[in-house]
Amino acid sequence: MKILNKRSNPAFFTLILLPALLVILFLTVYPVLNTIILSFFKNNYLSDEIKFIGLKNFMNIGSDSGFQRAFLNTLTFAAIATVAEVGLGIFLALMFFGEFRGKRPFMITVIFPMMVSTMVISAVWKVLYHYDIGLFNHILRSMNLAPVGWLIDQSQALLSIIIVDIWQWTPFAFLIIQAGLNSIPKEIFESSSIDGAGYFRNLFSITLPILSSQILLVIMLRTIDTFRIFGKVYALTQGGPGNSTETVSYFIYREGFSYFNLGRASAAALYVLIVISIIALFYIKGIMKEEN
Amino acid sequence: MTGSVMGRKGLIFWLLMAVVLFLVLFPLYWILITALKTPLENISPVPSLFPSVISFENFFNVMRSGFFKNLFNSLFVAFTSTFFSLVLAFLASYALLRYKFPFKLNVVFLIWVLVVKILPPMVLSIPLYTMFTKVGLINDLWGLILVYQVYTLPYCIWMLFGFMKSLPLEFEQAAEIDGASKLKTLTHVVVPLASSGIAATAIFSIIIAWDEFLFALLFIRSPRLQTLPLKIVSFITEYETLWGDLMAIGLLATIPVLFFSGYYYKRLTEGFSLGLK
Repeated sequence: MKILNKRSNPAFFTLILLPALLVILFLTVYPVLNTIILSFFKNNYLSDEIKFIGLKNFMNIGSDSGFQRAFLNTLTFAAIATVAEVGLGIFLALMFFGEFRGKRPFMITVIFPMMVSTMVISAVWKVLYHYDIGLFNHILRSMNLAPVGWLIDQSQALLSIIIVDIWQWTPFAFLIIQAGLNSIPKEIFESSSIDGAGYFRNLFSITLPILSSQILLVIMLRTIDTFRIFGKVYALTQGGPGNSTETVSYFIYREGFSYFNLGRASAAALYVLIVISIIALFYIKGIMKEEN
Repeated sequence: MTGSVMGRKGLIFWLLMAVVLFLVLFPLYWILITALKTPLENISPVPSLFPSVISFENFFNVMRSGFFKNLFNSLFVAFTSTFFSLVLAFLASYALLRYKFPFKLNVVFLIWVLVVKILPPMVLSIPLYTMFTKVGLINDLWGLILVYQVYTLPYCIWMLFGFMKSLPLEFEQAAEIDGASKLKTLTHVVVPLASSGIAATAIFSIIIAWDEFLFALLFIRSPRLQTLPLKIVSFITEYETLWGDLMAIGLLATIPVLFFSGYYYKRLTEGFSLGLK
């Protein structure tokens, strides 16, 4: 860290840090502490009842089949979406590496899905997925296949939302991995080719290992993102049918803002906080390593 | 991977490109033609790939339903929250870069900023909702601007800190030797040097706020204060089959953002990936 000079003025620097510090304290530190405290109380907004109940909320939420389902859904979502996005991202980055005619317009077009508002994306997929008059089922019917309940079948709905996520975020994985590829010096491949290594040999022994930090970054960013997924679920299925598409964020929303069980919602939020902290640990470690 | 390994671009390459472009563009094409179809054609059980009559009825409907009010709300909230975040983040980043605070505050602060960046906002929503209700900032665009600092402020701090790290110290020292005050050095020397970083940060921060849905849903009650994502959701959930209107709003809300696509690509490939999302 470069420090300006010895005469530097502590009052001035404290003063200019203070506004951001206060906003961060108010909007993030205080709410987190508040959530921790609330989670030890039975607290319903409607009945105005506040009672200390120790760890009961945690035990209730932990054994709540709805929360377990939401947690499992979130993990399923994170796993399938991340594997697909990273896998496709690597594939596309390798296929579209190097220079070719129209590369810039092609790349700019390919990142459209991540630019479009999530709500607009949800809207058009909801239209395409519609059971009776959606395009997908129309195609299936015209091929004499049974229509699929994309968003209304319990065993299908989560996958349908994941497909939307894959459509939206594969470009992101593609771009980041491609940026990583660009940073590999050409000489490495040339010398390796001279040694007689084939394409796949190069891929597994050179390219993928060098790309591992980019791949890890995408995996972490996508996992972090699935824990906050809310808008897509809200717009496409509202957690249904049943609770087959409820994610942890949606569960907290329902507990807190539909049933007003603030204590239970806070306990659920803390469980999420713990998982995110573990991911954050790796993420921050990685970033700090890069910073130094 | 390089030309020597991959060989020339053959038929398969161009075919794959066509498939990728099709997959990317088809849903966007569907937004466009659904917006241009008549409401009746949109609920036909046999979806047509091209509108039989091009109709702007949906767009007129949308504009009559208060679209401009929602557009204004979205723009106002996105730009204002970004403005505040930029000012606060710029000052804070500068302080963190140029002054060593006691108790390792510099590192602690930056780590917390990162934690907030990856925290699901839902985790904060209940205490924030209670707080904002108490001070009467629910159902108020200023309340939304304040709560959006949860997203935009950590984002701007992280991005600007990254940009400003590479600024040379000499200009500031020269200004100081010339007798410029600290504040004057900041506004006349550091701001111009960091301007490209500030612009990039502003654009991404505006997009984040423009896209935000959760707090808008929780904090805004009256339709006249709705931002565009809320308006779109109300169309999805309340009027199931007004698809033409829905897609018309979607199209209007999307076009401004697509213009940034080229810029986004440039930034991402230049290696600013860490600051994103």
